[in-house]
Amino acid sequence: MPESSELTVVLPAHLHARPAGQIVVTAARFTSTVEIVYGAKVANARGVLALLALGATAGETVTVRATGDDAPAAAEAVATALRTTS
Amino acid sequence: MSGTVGLVLVSHSPDLAAGLRELLRQVAGDAVAVTVAGGDDDGGLGTSYELIRDAIAEAGSGAGVIVLPDLGSSVLTAKALLEDHPNPQVRLVDAPFVEGAVAAAVIAATGADLDTVADAAEEAWHARKL
Repeated sequence: MPESSELTVVLPAHLHARPAGQIVVTAARFTSTVEIVYGAKVANARGVLALLALGATAGETVTVRATGDDAPAAAEAVATALRTTS
Repeated sequence: MSGTVGLVLVSHSPDLAAGLRELLRQVAGDAVAVTVAGGDDDGGLGTSYELIRDAIAEAGSGAGVIVLPDLGSSVLTAKALLEDHPNPQVRLVDAPFVEGAVAAAVIAATGADLDTVADAAEEAWHARKL
C-alpha cells in the first residue's frame, strides 16, 4: 500500500546547483516518487534542472512530498538534505 | 556492479570543456567519470578526432559512455568517429552542452543506466531557466 508523506523545510540557502545535485542523488536511494513544491511550482526530485528552475531562495519554505512504499524515509532524507544546504 | 555511466565533453575550447568538467564535479561529485576533448591537436580552438577517441577510451566503464558535443565541428567529428567505430556502449547525444551535461552527470551519479543518462541529457532541451 503506497504511502504519502509531506514535510516542509525553510531553506537555509538558495537551492542552487550543488544542493540540487545532492537532492537528486538522495532521492534516487528510494523507490518513492519525491517532489519538491515551491509556491505554484512542482519539481520531481529526479531532475536537477527542474529543481534549479524552481528558483527557491534562502529563507523560503518548500514542501517535500514523497509517494510510495518508503515515502516517510524518502521525505525525511530529502528534507534533511535540503536543511543542510549550504 | 559495472560503475557509473561516463561522460565525454567535446568542445572547440579546452577551457570551456575543462570549466564544464569542474562544474560537473561540483554538482555531481567525483563518482562519475568525466573526460574532455577540448580544442584541436595543437591546443587551439577546434576539434580533434584523436582527442575525442582518447577521451572516450578514458571515460569508458562497463556502464557505457555518453558523448556531448558543444556545436558545429564537435558534433561532426564525434559523429564521424562513432560511425567509424560503432559501439552500442558509446552514445552521441543531442543536448544543450551545459544543461545536458549537468542533468546527465547527476543522473549518472545515481547509478542510472546508459539509456536513462542519455534521456536525461536530451530532456534538458525542455528545461526552462525561469
